[in-house]
Amino acid sequence: MTDQIAIHTGGLTKHYGDLHALIDLDLDVFAGEVFGYLGPNGAGKTTTIRLLMDEIRPTAGSATILGRDTHRDPVELRKYIGYVPGDLAMYPNLTGHDTLTYFANLRGGVDWSYVDELAERLDADLTKKVGDLSSGNRQKVGVIQAFMNRPTILIMDEPSSGLDPLIQREFQQMMREVAANGGSVFLSSHTLSEVQRVADRVGIIRHGRLIALESVATLRAKGLRRVELEFTEPATASEFENVSGVRDLVVRNHHVAMSYEGSMGTLLAIATRHHTLVDIATQEADLEEIFLTYYHDEESH
Amino acid sequence: MLASVFTKTIRDRWIGMFIGAITLGLLLLMGMAAYKSIDLSIYDSMPAGFRNLLAIPKGASIGALAYGAIYTSYGALTLAALLIPMGTGAIAGEERDGTIGLLLGNPVSRISVVAQKAAAIVVVAAFGGVVLWLAGIGAPAVLGVTVTGVTLASLSFAMFVNALFYGFLALAISTWTGKRGIGAGVSTGVLIVGFIAAGLFPIIPGWENAAKVFPWYYYASNKPQINGVDWWHILVLLAAVVVFVAIALIGVGRRDLRSQSVGVTIMDRLRANPRTAKIVERIAGSAQVSTIWMKSVSEHQGLLIITVYVMLIMSLAIGPLYNLITGPIKEFGASLPPTLLALFGGGNLSTADGFYQIEIFGMMAPAAVMVATIAIGSRALAGEEQQRTMGLLLSNPVSRGSVVLQKTVSMVIHGVAVGISIFIGVWLGSVIGRLGMNAWHIAATCLLATLIGLVVGALALALSAATGRVRVAVYGAIGVALISHVLNAFLPLNTSTEGLTKWTPFGYYLNSDPLANGMDWWHGLVLLVLTLVLVGLAVAWFQRRDLRQRG
Repeated sequence: MTDQIAIHTGGLTKHYGDLHALIDLDLDVFAGEVFGYLGPNGAGKTTTIRLLMDEIRPTAGSATILGRDTHRDPVELRKYIGYVPGDLAMYPNLTGHDTLTYFANLRGGVDWSYVDELAERLDADLTKKVGDLSSGNRQKVGVIQAFMNRPTILIMDEPSSGLDPLIQREFQQMMREVAANGGSVFLSSHTLSEVQRVADRVGIIRHGRLIALESVATLRAKGLRRVELEFTEPATASEFENVSGVRDLVVRNHHVAMSYEGSMGTLLAIATRHHTLVDIATQEADLEEIFLTYYHDEESH
Repeated sequence: MLASVFTKTIRDRWIGMFIGAITLGLLLLMGMAAYKSIDLSIYDSMPAGFRNLLAIPKGASIGALAYGAIYTSYGALTLAALLIPMGTGAIAGEERDGTIGLLLGNPVSRISVVAQKAAAIVVVAAFGGVVLWLAGIGAPAVLGVTVTGVTLASLSFAMFVNALFYGFLALAISTWTGKRGIGAGVSTGVLIVGFIAAGLFPIIPGWENAAKVFPWYYYASNKPQINGVDWWHILVLLAAVVVFVAIALIGVGRRDLRSQSVGVTIMDRLRANPRTAKIVERIAGSAQVSTIWMKSVSEHQGLLIITVYVMLIMSLAIGPLYNLITGPIKEFGASLPPTLLALFGGGNLSTADGFYQIEIFGMMAPAAVMVATIAIGSRALAGEEQQRTMGLLLSNPVSRGSVVLQKTVSMVIHGVAVGISIFIGVWLGSVIGRLGMNAWHIAATCLLATLIGLVVGALALALSAATGRVRVAVYGAIGVALISHVLNAFLPLNTSTEGLTKWTPFGYYLNSDPLANGMDWWHGLVLLVLTLVLVGLAVAWFQRRDLRQRG
């Protein structure tokens, strides 16, 4: 990752009548990074991507890609962009090869040996009509068309949907290669494990607002852990529920489970005040738990 | 309205039928207003046979004339045309949309779905008939006109049954094959060919009975607006409807359902064959995806081939047929006043030019060009948005303006191709029938027909660009074309409104009588400028708005 800004949004806002789909989004994505864009359904992820692609126009604010305004200079910009829209649809009567030929003709400069290489890596059948392909195989054609002109910027909305785990891994490798070569990947996803594996930084969006913008490493370093305690005698919830940093507390007889953010020493001191500790299991929270924690915080505000 | 397949289908379709029927009601009102202001005595001087041919009773009243002119042909054609998409959409449409699996994932059988959709077709058709009937009662009441000698209820009922025939024909074919295109193509072909043949054969001596082969005969031949319902004819149509329902019910059960998949075309087979692969690959493979306009041209090639073929054959056949028409009809045709002839495209039966004008250029030629141009114009932008491919298309380095203009190029190519096919057909028909028509004049008329088709196609394109909705573009363009055509026919009936035809696009099509006088370049220029303005609006509107995410 470098300091060079590849994608920038400033106060980017989109309203549909009374619906505020995106509110005041300020975001920078840097050259050489994979940026994960997370959020539940209807959070504003697709709206952001459609604004970046000039499919829709902002109510306020603006966006630039590679320093060019996405609305004023869209045609020139698209030479450098690879795009996989959400809920990908293509021309059912064209074969995969015809589809790629069509887009290659519109873009120019596509190296067909590279297309063949991509098809091999993703195990894609380009001889069948798109309408006859399964959703996963159709998605492969969509991914190939996004990568085939070696784009500087990749913008993808839920691109892994329908891909099997082996292919997903190869696809993630392809994204990392783009970043390693100085490109940028803007990846909207529900698949948190995928973002965790592939992204350098993560933006979390909810109700149209960006509520967190962190590197994956920082998020993990927040210290949120999953903790399970086993005692010799039954414990009660009242002993733990008021402890600072404890969330999602479940107490079942001798067994206590929780999410905990804070010093383990403090927690252990409280746990052993009245009981004898038999066993302790702790693990780093994954993004999903961090993700849910943020929502919890947002809703309680 | 979402309680069942039956009610949901009605919910999705009633509004189109309502708008169509109301538009026809308004046309009736305009027609009556025009007839109210002219001297009708001319009709009484016609021979009974000819009057009958035009569905005009002795002592015809304003009402009888207006119903005959608007409802009997336009009304019945519109009602039938609105039911065809219901028939094709019933099962094949759900298959194309990929929703059939979800629908049948519920505890409802295939047969039940077809039966409910069929029932909805009947209800929507009846709804259309009732609206037409009410409008038919309302129009004379508004104008203070007394209607005599017309059985409006019989006419409405006959139009309803007639429409059912085509709706269920489309249902049967589409449900049996799983292909909407085949159902729509065959049903529309039977409708148009039948409409023309049932009117044409009765005036050709020795060929009168040939009209009975065509379903339109069983609707129109006994003039239901004058003579009431002919139950034998209705029975023939209803028997056919029963057969079509049976075909649909058997058809849906006998085959694998398609899941948004696409069929194997002849081109696909030729591409797969090593002997033909190379040449076909060049024509149908790489060439068709070389540019946006080439792809758009190739996407609609099936419709183009059918339209060109039908127009070529029909235009060619009219020439030799003209020689079969007897002298008295020709002589009488020569005596009819021009105002009356304007209703039938301004032609004159006494000359070959006039006969071609009535049979081909009056309605068929512009309609055929419009079939091609509206199909592309409406789907060019809104169709891609509906299929959710526009976002992907525009992710390439191509501007929205360029997309609109390239789609316009494909629309022009299709329109011109249909225009040329009509020219070749008419010219050959003239040569074969030794009619001695002027080839330049034929070319001029075909050029004007192409231009009026392009105006309406460009309107569809502009509506498509402004709204992103295919239906709005199709119905809007057809509605404007229909109203313009009827206004252009009726406004000249009254000298005080005659000059107003210059405000309708159709006023620049045949009003200069190009078959007799050759090209009126001023009229051609007006149509060309109108087309360019509409395309310009399409570019401006499309550049300005958000793309729709869903169709």
